[in-house]
Amino acid sequence: MNHRAHLAEEQLFDCYLAERNGEIVDPPAAEHLADCEPCAARYSDLARFMDGLTEEAVLGADAVFTPERLRAQQQQIARRLERLRQPARIISFPSQLVRRTMTASRSHATPRWVAGAAAAGLFVGVAVGASYQRGSHIRGVEQTLARQAATNRLAPVAARGGSPAQIAADEAFLSDLEVALERPHTRELVAFDALTPHVREVKAP
Amino acid sequence: MSADHQTQRRANNESRRAAAREEGSLRTAPNPTLQPPAPGAGVRQQPGGPERSHSPHTPLSDDTRLAVDIRGRVERGAMDEARERFEELVALHQRRASRIAYQYLRDASEADEAVQDAFVKAFSHISSYREAWPFEVWFTRILVNGCLDRRKARGRRDRWLVPGEVSRADEARASAAHLASDPEQQLLARERRERIAAAVDRLDGRQRTVFMLSQYGDCTPKEISAITGLNESTVRVHLFRAARKLRGLLGGTP
Repeated sequence: MNHRAHLAEEQLFDCYLAERNGEIVDPPAAEHLADCEPCAARYSDLARFMDGLTEEAVLGADAVFTPERLRAQQQQIARRLERLRQPARIISFPSQLVRRTMTASRSHATPRWVAGAAAAGLFVGVAVGASYQRGSHIRGVEQTLARQAATNRLAPVAARGGSPAQIAADEAFLSDLEVALERPHTRELVAFDALTPHVREVKAP
Repeated sequence: MSADHQTQRRANNESRRAAAREEGSLRTAPNPTLQPPAPGAGVRQQPGGPERSHSPHTPLSDDTRLAVDIRGRVERGAMDEARERFEELVALHQRRASRIAYQYLRDASEADEAVQDAFVKAFSHISSYREAWPFEVWFTRILVNGCLDRRKARGRRDRWLVPGEVSRADEARASAAHLASDPEQQLLARERRERIAAAVDRLDGRQRTVFMLSQYGDCTPKEISAITGLNESTVRVHLFRAARKLRGLLGGTP
């Protein structure tokens, strides 16, 4: 081969591949490489670069895949192969749960807790509302009583409606009021009732 | 290049030369296309592919003989014996498979899983194995398909999630294991590997596969042709272009 016509990159690469894989290097190219110093230098550069890449990769992978790790991998493969012959295991669920899953559709299952939360919110709202209403009612009653007391104080004893029927009506009204204030109408409002100051306590001082 | 690796490669080359002399040519194999396998299908065979290159006089390699033996045992129902023999095959190909998978995935755990999956798949589909395919080629194809699938899945995942630092941790472990004595060298080696991995990652899909099989899987262009289904001359062209691109990206030095 002519020394002036240097080997092309492709030819150099073919030489490298052939040498690497133990194949026969193209004789004219091999002859040229033996005679041409620049091409031999280019070939060495190429071979060094390619082998360097391989070496780095091999070192990196081998450092990660240590003999211990490979042994563990082998054992894991053996375990998985062993499991291959075993039929698939079906995990049994409680029959009730299965039935519910079978019958309840997804669209029903999801809104159930939402509905519960909505109901709870509604109830709390109603309860708080009722509590406020009762509070304002108590204030109203209190004001009425205060007005009545003031009137009573100003009016002469004789003019207070001293008829027995009137007195009985007043007594009945006050008694009803006491009962109404002491016993909440709903059991659920007991907690709110406990937190709310009673007329008695307000009146006490 | 490490002395061990060079010796191993020389030995491989010697055996290849001997085989080529015996056979009159290098091993021939079918040209399956490199497509991800269908679930549970293992390796897809093209109609007429394996039979086209079948030669009754071609001497079988050790691993191929072993694979044929395992297939016979599986067909006879001697599963325990088949499993025992298969462990020999695992021991033969495990290191090389791990290297390939690791270079593909750059994540030790994922590479580990890919290798395991490939072996399990190879065993469960051993009945469909034909000796016209050297076992190494057949198995590598299963492995590469698995790695490609995993890369694809990871690409989809990374679109939504922040990628982890696992590969960096693996690299750190790898460097530490080798060069624990010199932290500076350790750091340099890690950077070098990361640079190479990034450059290889920038190769076109086919170029990358061909390059990895050649440089990391120690496959000949003929074997790569069998694994990828590409023409042998196309493999050579891809290899050359990959090398040229990598030299450009890495500035001539790895």
